[in-house]
Amino acid sequence: MKINLAALLGGLLVAGALQAVEAPAPTKLNTTADHSKFKELQHEFASGPEVTKACLTCHTEAALQIHRTKHWTWEVINPLNNQRLGKKNVINNYCISTATNLGACATCHVGYGWVNSSFDFKSQVNVDCLVCHDTSGSYKKLPGGGQPPVKDTENPPGSGKIVKAIDLAAIAQKVGKTSRDTCGACHFFGGGGDGVKHGDMDTSLASPDKEVDVHMDATGLDFTCSTCHKAPAHDVVGSRYMPTGKDSGDAHMRGKVNKSNPATCQSCHGQAPHKAGAQPAKLNQHTDKVACQTCHIPQFARGGVPTKMHWDWSTAGKLSPEGKPMLKTDAKGHVIYDSRKGDFVVAENVTPEYGWFNGEVTYTLLGDTVDKSNGITLINALGGSASDGRSLIWPMKVMRGSQPYDPVNKTLVKPHVAGNDDTAFWKNFNWEKAIETGMKAANAPFSGKVDFLKTEMYWPITHMVAPKEKAVGCNECHTKGGRLDKIEGVYIPGRDANHLVNLIGWLAAGATLAGVLLHGLLRIVRRKN
Amino acid sequence: MKAHNLVSTLVAAGLLCASTLASAYEGDWKRGRIYYRSVCTACHAAQAGGSIAPSTMTKAEWVAYLQKDKHAKGKDSLKQYVSKSYRASIRAQNKAADKFAELPDEELSEDLKAFVIKGAKDGDAPASCS
Amino acid sequence: MERIYIFTRFERFWHWAQALLIIAMLVTGFEIHGAYKLLGFAQAGQLHTSAAWALITLWVFAIFWHFTTGEWRQYIPTMKNIDKVVRHYAWGIFQGEPHPFKVTRARKHNPMQAQAYLAVKVLINPLIWISGLAYLYYNELEAAGMALNLGTIALLHTIGAFLMLAFLIGHVYLITTGHTVTAHLKAMITGWDEVEEQRH
Repeated sequence: MKINLAALLGGLLVAGALQAVEAPAPTKLNTTADHSKFKELQHEFASGPEVTKACLTCHTEAALQIHRTKHWTWEVINPLNNQRLGKKNVINNYCISTATNLGACATCHVGYGWVNSSFDFKSQVNVDCLVCHDTSGSYKKLPGGGQPPVKDTENPPGSGKIVKAIDLAAIAQKVGKTSRDTCGACHFFGGGGDGVKHGDMDTSLASPDKEVDVHMDATGLDFTCSTCHKAPAHDVVGSRYMPTGKDSGDAHMRGKVNKSNPATCQSCHGQAPHKAGAQPAKLNQHTDKVACQTCHIPQFARGGVPTKMHWDWSTAGKLSPEGKPMLKTDAKGHVIYDSRKGDFVVAENVTPEYGWFNGEVTYTLLGDTVDKSNGITLINALGGSASDGRSLIWPMKVMRGSQPYDPVNKTLVKPHVAGNDDTAFWKNFNWEKAIETGMKAANAPFSGKVDFLKTEMYWPITHMVAPKEKAVGCNECHTKGGRLDKIEGVYIPGRDANHLVNLIGWLAAGATLAGVLLHGLLRIVRRKN
Repeated sequence: MKAHNLVSTLVAAGLLCASTLASAYEGDWKRGRIYYRSVCTACHAAQAGGSIAPSTMTKAEWVAYLQKDKHAKGKDSLKQYVSKSYRASIRAQNKAADKFAELPDEELSEDLKAFVIKGAKDGDAPASCS
Repeated sequence: MERIYIFTRFERFWHWAQALLIIAMLVTGFEIHGAYKLLGFAQAGQLHTSAAWALITLWVFAIFWHFTTGEWRQYIPTMKNIDKVVRHYAWGIFQGEPHPFKVTRARKHNPMQAQAYLAVKVLINPLIWISGLAYLYYNELEAAGMALNLGTIALLHTIGAFLMLAFLIGHVYLITTGHTVTAHLKAMITGWDEVEEQRH
């Protein structure tokens, strides 16, 4: 027995040894570099910049490339009107302004440590490679500098909630191409929460099905963001500050030099994309006036995640009976009031509003004159008209709200909302103090008086493309009171008509009918006689 | 003799472990997510058993559940729903089953495991259903 | 009563096919115009375009027929005895008077009738055809540099449509003014018209 057992064990030993020699990990086919094999990444990392330093030993140009982009600088000058834009500068009607709120806002900066103006934008190791290139799904950045938690951290401070430490080495060894998850880690959460800002970008796009978006369908085409938003030298195309309103070019062909925006529909689909179905030629006749998105995105916020449609800052500051900040939710559990922020209206499956758009966006910036008595202030006015030859009818999310302004100096203001100090609005609920801090930091005058005015902000819709069977039907626009009811400057059959001609025409037809009926009646009567 | 046997057993066990590790497949949580959302929640969202979002259980609970391999209160096996034969049977109606039709059962199992562990209540990124 | 064969097979076929198509085009056309909802804009548009091509094809045959058979001569306008015809419709018909116009193979339409039909063929049809084709090929015209205002094209097409509608109403009624109420209808079905014996 003992001898048999030994033989068995011996056999197993040999088999085991053979197996150990014969089974290396299968060759990766989707990359030429298995980063888990690099010694540079096989030790503990105590901080994000340490990881970046390791990346840069091979990827020598990467950080300098990032430095040239607006993902890094958060600033861009619009060549059309010389406006100084970018997240650093613009005012919106969500959290309003990033300046003086970097502790919160710059969590989504592609760098480590930007909390105030002392941040070194020239530093290469301050670039965060992992936020975009992580494939493990475990990478996190904490507020107050966007640093990854290398040890268990309490966040928010004093809340009792612990964010577990992440293993930077393990994450670094798994880096790869960007994905909807990594882009979405920031871009799905704009405005302070999932789906709040854009309406057509939220976590439902991480692994969507065809109904939500035909291109990003996880079991189908599975486009990543960079499939359209190409990033030569890390410079991602498709900016919301300088979009392409009307792309009149043909589909991009390999080898053919084409400097136009590769993120437009037309850059793949060309000008005559309708080939089969009911009336393809007729549909192709629409592409010179109607943006593809208008028909092919019938509603936004279709993935089960609602978007914010209205934000009334003027009601912020109401505390609970115990004097604590509170949240109120609707029947579905969505927050509709936050003491720190005011009242919200959220919605799903929203039908867009429509307007002419030629790609020119003009922002109302700090210092521009605004007044409550002017009615609604446009945060960003979209240029375009029926007759400029450069416009298409685009769908958009119109974000409406009420936000603070200086009624004496007649300017919008940049309040300091986030921070653990004496003036941050989210802690102290005092507008005058919050705005004073913010305006001082911006070197802008503040009268000390605060009032609220109504604003609108326009977000052209381009994601959540529905399957073609679900495209907007002809009846929905070619009718009175339809989706394009407010569009001016173009004749839409079914909606428009010359009312005088209609009146005369129907009267003439009616008169003819009356005439012949009378004539006939008379004949009948006379015949009886 | 006894000591010799003990050493042999330990060495054999050790080599066996090494051999399994050498051919280890690392689960692709993104593939697991696609399959889970498309195949598992197809039934569970609407009817049987309510929400089965990964965040409904802790990592330990998931490991135990997967180990036990009992589905529908013991009526059938969990592995069955990951099997190639099951995928083949539903691939006409289910795009995820179709896309992953040729994956070996063990790989897809690891993918799903990676996804639910990552998305567990105490996991790296708790995943609930939207 | 004498029987004269005034409408040949082709002419009858042409007439009824045309009637069907024109009615279809009016119904779908006014729906596209936004006057009411029946088939839905997309369906109405498709049917309208298909009917338009069918009608154009029909007219090509009809125009060919008119010239090769000499029937075009029926429509040469004449004012001969037109006053008698007008008086009949305005007054004489109520007195039970017989129609003053005698149908012959050479002249099967009375002068007023012939002029009305000529007006349709020469005024209303071209107005509708040309504006309709401009409507259909609007984008191609623009690409060729001959951009026209779509609203203007639509206006002209609508005017043509209302004229056609008025004509249709009048025409359908006037069918009943033969020597019996159904005489003209029978003629356009069988091809034969009954006229008073002529003494030549």
